[in-house]
Amino acid sequence: MAVEQPGRPRNTRERFQILGDLIYDKMFHNFVWQSIFRSGYPNTPRNQMLAVATNVFLHLHPTRIHRTHVKITHTYCLGGLTFFMFLMLTVTGVLLMFYYVPSVDRAYNDIQAIQTDVRFGQLMRNVHRWTAHGMVIFVFLHMFRVFYTGAYKAPREFNWVVGVILLVLTLLLSFTGYLLPWDQLALWAITVGHGIGGSAPYLGDETQLVLFGGFEIGQNALIRFYTLHVLALPLAAAIFMAVHFWRIRRDGGMARPL
Amino acid sequence: MAIEQTARPAAQRPARPRQRREREEELLVWPDLLFPEFICAVLFTITFILLSVFIDAPLLNRANPDITPNPSKAPWYFLNLQELLLHMDKAWAGVILPTIAIIGLIMVPYLDRDTEGRGVWFGTKNAVKIFGFGAIYASAINILLILFDAGKFEAITRWVPGLQPIRETQLDGSEVLVNKGLLSVKDFEGRFAWPEDLRNIPVPFNQQVCDIYFKDLHLWCNFHLNLPGIMSGQVIPLSLIFGFTVAMIYTVFMLGWLRTRRDLMLVLFTGFFFTFLVLTVTGSFFRGPGQELVPPWGIVVDEG
Ligand code: HEM
Repeated sequence: MAVEQPGRPRNTRERFQILGDLIYDKMFHNFVWQSIFRSGYPNTPRNQMLAVATNVFLHLHPTRIHRTHVKITHTYCLGGLTFFMFLMLTVTGVLLMFYYVPSVDRAYNDIQAIQTDVRFGQLMRNVHRWTAHGMVIFVFLHMFRVFYTGAYKAPREFNWVVGVILLVLTLLLSFTGYLLPWDQLALWAITVGHGIGGSAPYLGDETQLVLFGGFEIGQNALIRFYTLHVLALPLAAAIFMAVHFWRIRRDGGMARPL
Repeated sequence: MAIEQTARPAAQRPARPRQRREREEELLVWPDLLFPEFICAVLFTITFILLSVFIDAPLLNRANPDITPNPSKAPWYFLNLQELLLHMDKAWAGVILPTIAIIGLIMVPYLDRDTEGRGVWFGTKNAVKIFGFGAIYASAINILLILFDAGKFEAITRWVPGLQPIRETQLDGSEVLVNKGLLSVKDFEGRFAWPEDLRNIPVPFNQQVCDIYFKDLHLWCNFHLNLPGIMSGQVIPLSLIFGFTVAMIYTVFMLGWLRTRRDLMLVLFTGFFFTFLVLTVTGSFFRGPGQELVPPWGIVVDEG
């Protein structure tokens, strides 16, 4: 009686299977991989929950979620997309910062250089620009979805307030970035905003001095906007986002009918 | 005996259907949430990169303070404010109303404390109807008001008593007086023969008193009330905003759709959102040189 030899391939299909297993084994069952990912692919519910709960990037999520909230038509992923736009903006923004100097003499030339001399510079600038518009649109749509699903109701009142702060921060981030290319579009758009700020009752001059560093848009305004745009506002936004996400968990996950 | 008596009310309570256990309704975040999130992220990365491959971000000429493009426009999400500025006092349009709007937004959850309709799209009985009505009402009113301020209703307001004719320059340079109706709310200030005294009303603590006591409050010291100006820039526009809002709530109430505070919030938010939308779209696509109302294809930017 012929006993089947274990491990001996009988045809090409089996040969490939063995090869696949071997590669899989070499890739994932070695001490380098296992030093990064402490366990293999989580394929039991228990391991999947552990994977979410113990991973630093995933643990913002709960381990379980109500089935209605997974439906794409409940959130349209709008808050998540806003956050994702923020991440893309951070990455492309850092790359742009390598080449950009916030001085009225250099700024415009730097932007031109990014477009013409820097490899993928034009692409980075485009992605930064379009995701910035995207973020503003998504944050409005997110607010729209939160409102019409009545998700601001108790106990989530304060997270709505945090949201409104994030909305204002998003608009300010976009507005401060608008000036940086130092072209005609930038200068005159910010001049309109400067005028609006100057119309504040009793505090018009003070507003212009504090926000724009003067009564016209020049070097003072540029350096203020730059510092706000690359440092202060993203930091503030990141902090409020952390609070926002943490509160979603603390308030018992996303809103559901009683 | 005693046991029976206390037990009875509980037994008489209508039997509630068994609540499904929370756990049975829940899914695992891995994979049911993480995978859709991941796919969403990939799709949007691809979309935005493709967009960026095909459409370049704008870069005009170097900034030049001596050359003013006409029209010059704020970034699109502030065009609603820029639009509002055309119709009323700039402090109200540019600063006070936006501040009120943000405070109003913050107050939404504290005003609407019902839990009715929580966590579901359009959760109250009449929510969709209210949304539809609010959207149409707010859009229509705003469009009509914008058209009024663009002088489109000039012909039907010629009858207004006391309206001064307008001086128009003919082709040959001569000037003629033309009878015209109201061209905008601002005409309220300029087109009537107000007594000069009304344009220059001194307020308490004016001039002399100020010179002695409040030297630094120069704003107040040089302050004379211009009553027609206040009427056209502040009183009329604000009354219109307030009046149309109240009228909207009243209509929804009379239609019998307004049952809870949530419904009230729906009316207000929908009205606000669509006002915002109409103003933004008008500012973006319908304002040409000199902020004239023009169709989108009529917008030509004069680069100076
Ligand atoms: C930078 C801006 C923002 C980011 C990154 C952000 C992110 C998120 C995310 C990821 C969620 C989870 C659910 C979802 O995706 O819809 C969420 C929920 C929520 N957001 Fe935001 N958000 C932002 C701005 C806002 C604004 C402007 C508001 C309201 C004015 C707001 C109010 C809320 C509330 C109340 C929830 C809980 C929703 C629920 O329980 O169903 N957020 N946000």
